[in-house]
Amino acid sequence: MADPAIIETIGLKKGYGGFEALCGLDLSVPAGSICGFLGRNGAGKTTTIKILLGMTHATAGSARVFGLDADNRESGVAIRQRLSFVSDEKDLYDFMTVEEMIRFTAGFYSGWRTDLEQKYLRAFDLPPNRRVKALSRGMRTKLALLLALSHGAELVILDEATSGLDPAAAEEVLQALVAHVAREGMTVFFSSHQLAEVDQIADRVAVINHGRLVVSGALDDLRETWRRIRLVFSDEAPAADFHSPGIERVSRDGRTLDILCSAGLDRIVNEAGALAPASIDVQPVTLKEIFLETVARGE
Amino acid sequence: MSASNKITYKSWLDTRWRFIAGLAVLVCSSSAIVLVYPQVVQLLPVAAKVQATGTVGDEIRRHVELSSTFRGYEWSQWNQQNLIQLGTLFAVLLGAGGVLSHGAGGGAFYTLALPVSRRRLIVTRAATGLLELLALMLLSSLVGPAMAPAIGESASLPDALAYALCGFIGGSVFFSLTLFLATVFSDVWRPLLIAVASASLIGFGELLLRNQLSFGFFRTMSAETYFRTGGLPWPGLLVCAASSAAMIYAAVLNLERRDF
Repeated sequence: MADPAIIETIGLKKGYGGFEALCGLDLSVPAGSICGFLGRNGAGKTTTIKILLGMTHATAGSARVFGLDADNRESGVAIRQRLSFVSDEKDLYDFMTVEEMIRFTAGFYSGWRTDLEQKYLRAFDLPPNRRVKALSRGMRTKLALLLALSHGAELVILDEATSGLDPAAAEEVLQALVAHVAREGMTVFFSSHQLAEVDQIADRVAVINHGRLVVSGALDDLRETWRRIRLVFSDEAPAADFHSPGIERVSRDGRTLDILCSAGLDRIVNEAGALAPASIDVQPVTLKEIFLETVARGE
Repeated sequence: MSASNKITYKSWLDTRWRFIAGLAVLVCSSSAIVLVYPQVVQLLPVAAKVQATGTVGDEIRRHVELSSTFRGYEWSQWNQQNLIQLGTLFAVLLGAGGVLSHGAGGGAFYTLALPVSRRRLIVTRAATGLLELLALMLLSSLVGPAMAPAIGESASLPDALAYALCGFIGGSVFFSLTLFLATVFSDVWRPLLIAVASASLIGFGELLLRNQLSFGFFRTMSAETYFRTGGLPWPGLLVCAASSAAMIYAAVLNLERRDF
């Protein structure tokens, strides 16, 4: 039996005047997964997250978190009681100190974990009496993460959590997140356009482009099913017309014919074999190539 | 501390300096008006001899007559002028920033991600601001009875309480207007400027149509009816309270339907 979806959107649409930010998004994130939400700038990642959090109202379709309607006032509060959020800007109260931010936030969550609070306060080396506006960007991110991880949430939503951080700080944040998830067993839904980051920590990925989901699934499955088939011919590669399903792109360069496929590898290899190439080489495809291919398709 | 208290505490933190500044300005202003009265009394015979005609002359004679008693002087200088101007200014300042603009200390997305409804956020903000406004009006109005003995005069405590009530309910209109505008505009300045401009236009209109109008927001705020007749201006208070409540309700609806 499949894990129940902790996040589910069906036909989700959002328009701003004449611009459609979301054009019928069907997204499903199983409970217990670490799902990377990828997309180009302006693809609709932040809009999706805002709808899930009840910050923005969808134009059409539905968005449910924990099975509750994200657009409903009462259930929206219940949803936010069970999840935590780290925004792109690490939006906190500048006038409060680190300690004050922690005490203020803790008051909203009955399941606040003082042990985690103290652990991350030490691990991140956050100065309790320093005002938030005096924190560096990296420390601000760490404080936002401490607040998100300490309240015993079932779901953590991160919007570009490591944006603007140097590689060392970003790595520290990611490692803390991965270790926390492994220990506490929660769901993470994070948007990013750092593919290396997603590759490093996610077990699922969803790619959004122009407001629609273009790829979704377990990262291992995607790595298994996506392949590059390189055909090398003795002479100029023929301008072949393939009919097998699952072919994403065919490109020809001199004696080489490259086929990028997302499914049906055996059938495609058989079809390619009929062209009598000198050699057929099947190679794995990286997440970056999958991403670039799927977003380029929409252009 | 419960979530409700946290939100109230946050609202207080957002507005505390405006409240403290308002308290200082209003109390100092009210005190100065009381302490200057002996010198005003000495100038009254001189002022009474001024031969002026028209509106200016009428105003001089009106103020000379009012200032001939401490009660009249205090009402004309404090309630009819300073309280209206300064009280309205600080009512607007207390309403500015709203809940989620930069004037609310930043952290809009953080606040929106908390397990608190937008309705509760703004109702708490409105309640906190209104309590602060009430405190400003009450404490500044109590300066008269408190300090009058220092200059050999006396001021009625019931009068001070009636003035505070009228100042608060009248001032709440401009507080609520600013709070509503803060749910329309994301920045701090437009709600402030529009509210101040609106107050100025209303005041100017009431001044021009003074003899034609039986009601006015500022007339209610100054407690003129109470001063002249001893009875509270119930129709005016009800209109002000209803206007204020309507604008707060509109602010709630606006905040709930808005996208961030």
